[in-house]
Amino acid sequence: MKRKYELVYVVSPEATDAQISDLHTQVEQITQRLGGTIEKTDNWGRRKLAYEIGPHKEGTYVLETIDGGGDVMKEIDRRLKVSDLVIRHLVVRIDEEQSVIDRTRTRRTENVRRRRVARGLPPDRQPGEGQRGDVDDDRDDRFDLPEGMDR
Amino acid sequence: MNGGKRSFGSGGRGKTGGHGAQQGKDGQRRPMFRRRKVCKFCADKIDDINYKDMKLLMPFVPERAKILPRRISGTCAMHQRKLRTAIMRARQLALIPYTAE
Repeated sequence: MKRKYELVYVVSPEATDAQISDLHTQVEQITQRLGGTIEKTDNWGRRKLAYEIGPHKEGTYVLETIDGGGDVMKEIDRRLKVSDLVIRHLVVRIDEEQSVIDRTRTRRTENVRRRRVARGLPPDRQPGEGQRGDVDDDRDDRFDLPEGMDR
Repeated sequence: MNGGKRSFGSGGRGKTGGHGAQQGKDGQRRPMFRRRKVCKFCADKIDDINYKDMKLLMPFVPERAKILPRRISGTCAMHQRKLRTAIMRARQLALIPYTAE
């Protein structure tokens, strides 16, 4: 079963860049061994922690988006727990939340379009349309459907 | 409580703040106008309350680092729930404090 996870780990500030990339390859190896793929890696760099964790006041944050089953994350979770360099980590499943978000967005744009058509307006907001669009829920410009998806 | 001179709010959640007409004989009570609170996430159409989005979350965690209650922020129930999980996740990662010292 295809699932998508997000993994954030906080690496101790003493860690060198080599150690951090080493950690990344470790995660990558586990993922590949268990039949998953890393979709995206993002190093946020060093930032201040909101509270002290043991002796640390800063940490390097790394975010990975991983495609794969639950056993991949189980193994990664276990490995990160053992690792001394990682001071905090968090695994979150994101595919379900993302689908909910997408659904509400499309439903909203569809509703807006339907209501506009019912009022005898073109389904998309025209440039230079008056204030009304700014106050009521016609303000759909943020999540416009891509072109060619007209109903 | 407070000597009963002024009573704040008429018990309700103050959705419309429409109890300005209460100007009866007890002259103490003055009409109170309260701005209608709207859920920020509904108004701005923010569907994704993400634990990584510090800019979005910080206004809901004032100085003491407690989560701002719904009765003050006006957030709707659904979005307050999502906000809560996001803040709790961010706290685990030390992005948001649990308490202020």
